[in-house]
Amino acid sequence: MNLLIISCTPRIKEKSNTDKILDEFKKGYESYGNTTETLYLYKRNEWETIRKKFYENDNILFALPLYVECIPGIMAEYLESLKPKQKNNTKIGFLLQGGFGEASQLRCCESYLETLPSLLGCEYNGTLLKGNMFAVSFMDGKIRKKMVEPFYNMGKYYAQNNYFNKEVVNDFAKPEYFSKKVIFLNNILSPLNKFFIKVFAKKLGCKGSLNDKPYQNYVKR
Amino acid sequence: MNLIVSALKKDDLYNKKIIERIQQNINNVEIIYAEDMDINGCIGCNRCWLVTPGVCTIKDDYEKLLIKFLQSKQVIFISDLKLGFVSYKLKNIIDRLLPLATMNVRFKNGQMRHYLRYKKHYKMGLIYKGNGNQEFLEKWLERVMINFDGTSIGTYNIENEEEILNELINY
Repeated sequence: MNLLIISCTPRIKEKSNTDKILDEFKKGYESYGNTTETLYLYKRNEWETIRKKFYENDNILFALPLYVECIPGIMAEYLESLKPKQKNNTKIGFLLQGGFGEASQLRCCESYLETLPSLLGCEYNGTLLKGNMFAVSFMDGKIRKKMVEPFYNMGKYYAQNNYFNKEVVNDFAKPEYFSKKVIFLNNILSPLNKFFIKVFAKKLGCKGSLNDKPYQNYVKR
Repeated sequence: MNLIVSALKKDDLYNKKIIERIQQNINNVEIIYAEDMDINGCIGCNRCWLVTPGVCTIKDDYEKLLIKFLQSKQVIFISDLKLGFVSYKLKNIIDRLLPLATMNVRFKNGQMRHYLRYKKHYKMGLIYKGNGNQEFLEKWLERVMINFDGTSIGTYNIENEEEILNELINY
């Protein structure tokens, strides 16, 4: 079986967390002799082709990062340019990743994705979701590998089942919320965490403070 | 100042009508049309958090908008619904709010949240045109506002003029 993957991140491939996750997922999916083809919405000059592929394929996965509680603007723009399919035999699954650690942060977007395929004349194949993915692109080597590796098995799972079962996904995506103990520890370690982020920002070229308020003069409370 | 950001066309009849009614009933209203603005989508580069804190790397009309958001008492978005969600034009505007938050996070009411950059209580509402799941839109806007330490004024069908006016006057 062939899976058409539409990567809906605005980031270029080299800097994209979504695509590093997809790389693992695809390896798992292809391990059963399946094939995948991946297209990228950030390549705007290819949208005509990406639309054509959407109409031609009946097994599609949209992969996306969470952007302010729902789909990124670029994905909304692409979807708005599609016409609903007439033959109702296309299955659409989603791979949704986010920066915050808890699965609960992705549920609002998930509830939207559940409704989306039917509006495009397609069937819903479930959503694989996972948080705590903010640093994937910043990390290298072993740490990155450890972060994205679990998606290999989910690729295999999707190849076998062609559906993301909610219980399986919930187990994969946990914690739904952090426990009180984790929150307590996190609060204690917060100054250290802030320090690391500061050092990291400096390395990226940040000259000011991360809390700079460049437009403070305009604030009316 | 009360800010209206409309992603509908200026000559859209519903748009014209609701804006006229709001202007008749509420003082100090300023209107911005997405069609007059050059607003690109967020590219997720994180530079507004990590490299030039508070400043977006894309140089278009976002800065004008961001300043308006900081100056407003409340913001009302107007958008048509596409596939049950706000149009990409409005989503692009919302996605570009990220410089209002900082990179640092903490736990608030049991969930991870970014620290906000400015001390301000944002209030935002949505007037939508077309059919959609009101429950989802309500939940979405509420969650958007939680992320910006603000309050949702609610989501309203553009045809419910009286309800919209009542709510806006109360806020």
